Amino acid sequence: MSTDGLLATDDALSQDLRGPDAADLAAAALEMARRFASGATLWCAAPSWPWHAHHVAVELARPTENGKQALPVTTVPDGPFSEILRPLARAGDMLLVISGSDEPSLADIRQRAQAWGLLTVWIGAGPRPEPGSADYVLWTDGDETAASYGGRFALVVHLLSEFTLSCLEHPRLLAPEPAACTNEVCITCSDEGRLGEVVAIGADGRAEVRTPDGLEAVDTTLIEPARPGDLVLIHAGLALALVDRSPR
Amino acid sequence: MSRENSGLPHQFGDGERDRRALLADLAARAETEAEEASRLRRSSLEALGSELERAARAIAQRLSAGACVYSFGDGESSIDATCAAALFSRSRGASLPARSLVADRAVITSAGDDADHELGFSRQLAACARAGDIAIGYSIGPEADNVVDAFEEAGKRGLLTVGFTGCAGGQMATRGVLDHCFAVPSRDLHRIQEAVMALSYDLWARVEQLPTPDGDRQALSQQQTAAEQGLLVTEEAR
Repeated sequence: MSTDGLLATDDALSQDLRGPDAADLAAAALEMARRFASGATLWCAAPSWPWHAHHVAVELARPTENGKQALPVTTVPDGPFSEILRPLARAGDMLLVISGSDEPSLADIRQRAQAWGLLTVWIGAGPRPEPGSADYVLWTDGDETAASYGGRFALVVHLLSEFTLSCLEHPRLLAPEPAACTNEVCITCSDEGRLGEVVAIGADGRAEVRTPDGLEAVDTTLIEPARPGDLVLIHAGLALALVDRSPR
Repeated sequence: MSRENSGLPHQFGDGERDRRALLADLAARAETEAEEASRLRRSSLEALGSELERAARAIAQRLSAGACVYSFGDGESSIDATCAAALFSRSRGASLPARSLVADRAVITSAGDDADHELGFSRQLAACARAGDIAIGYSIGPEADNVVDAFEEAGKRGLLTVGFTGCAGGQMATRGVLDHCFAVPSRDLHRIQEAVMALSYDLWARVEQLPTPDGDRQALSQQQTAAEQGLLVTEEAR
């Protein structure tokens, strides 16, 4: 995989800057097409520059010629993103955020997206986010204001939407990846903690927890009294740690 | 709005080899398209540099006299209009009156409702704009009668008219409705829009760099700040 990234000249500053890696862009597009093909919705959020979210929507959701169907793409309305998306997003959906790495209103939703089973794609510029902050990070170096207003984010949005539409023309490549494990007891999974969001608290520290696999009954007696909305690390039906308190 | 999607040459199958071939194909396309985007942006900025400077001076002069910026465009171009309004609303160290005519959804959708969409922007301008204001319109696609009509209305009302478009400029250029016309020489709507954004941003950056004339906004805002501070001191003293 090339580490150079795409050319993204910042003309205002006469500097050559690097945009996202071409291979990352291609991989993100294929995965997005795969999810669209299996009925997922794409949610877009760009709190500082809302027009970029509308841009993604207009590229993918507008009525197209040639009898092609519009894709389910929706801009998340401004406001508390987690509260707005919680009832809307379903496991398997996608969340595309366009922001700098220090956007405070998105820190919570990116973490919760994991518990809800959303694929996350992050388009941004400026200082890079921590590795692993999203499933696909399509980053541009240099000043985020110039990237946002000067057309560089538009280029990334254009390429990503063009390629997603291209991949959708190859339905045989869009079959979902076979599940890594189907066994009740799996050595790989049983070693891992998974993120879940507490939905409701029952008697004796039993809680209903939302995970990418659906609602699960989880024992929360090992952690401090959990509240609905808390993010917990779960493992073998036990909540091992409180990752984040409910913002409520 | 139509756009030629350079489709892939053949139908890829379901194997790992085909998946890799598709990804390699897309990555190569990304490189090519990014290079073309960069080239077009550079050449447009270079070719239109002196016109950008003239437009920037005209805009700066009007802003200093208290002008409001109105921006507009359809579909993808509404993105550029919103972006421009956001930029100009925080120009020259002050917050300035800049409005996107696509921001008011009720107005826009009601215009579509009664088949008056063609008149939408010009009606809004007729209602809100004053002589001396600035109209910045975007039309990256081929058909944009309502944008051209809005410029016509703006011209009649004594607004400065600045238009961004693609190809040879189309009606925007030929109908003589623009004081400043920026046409990106390409037929690819995506590349046009990226270059238009770069031009638009460059225009704003040039306005930012121009010195503000006598009685300028910055001095005014400093006076205001001083006055507010004076007021605060007086209030504290009480």
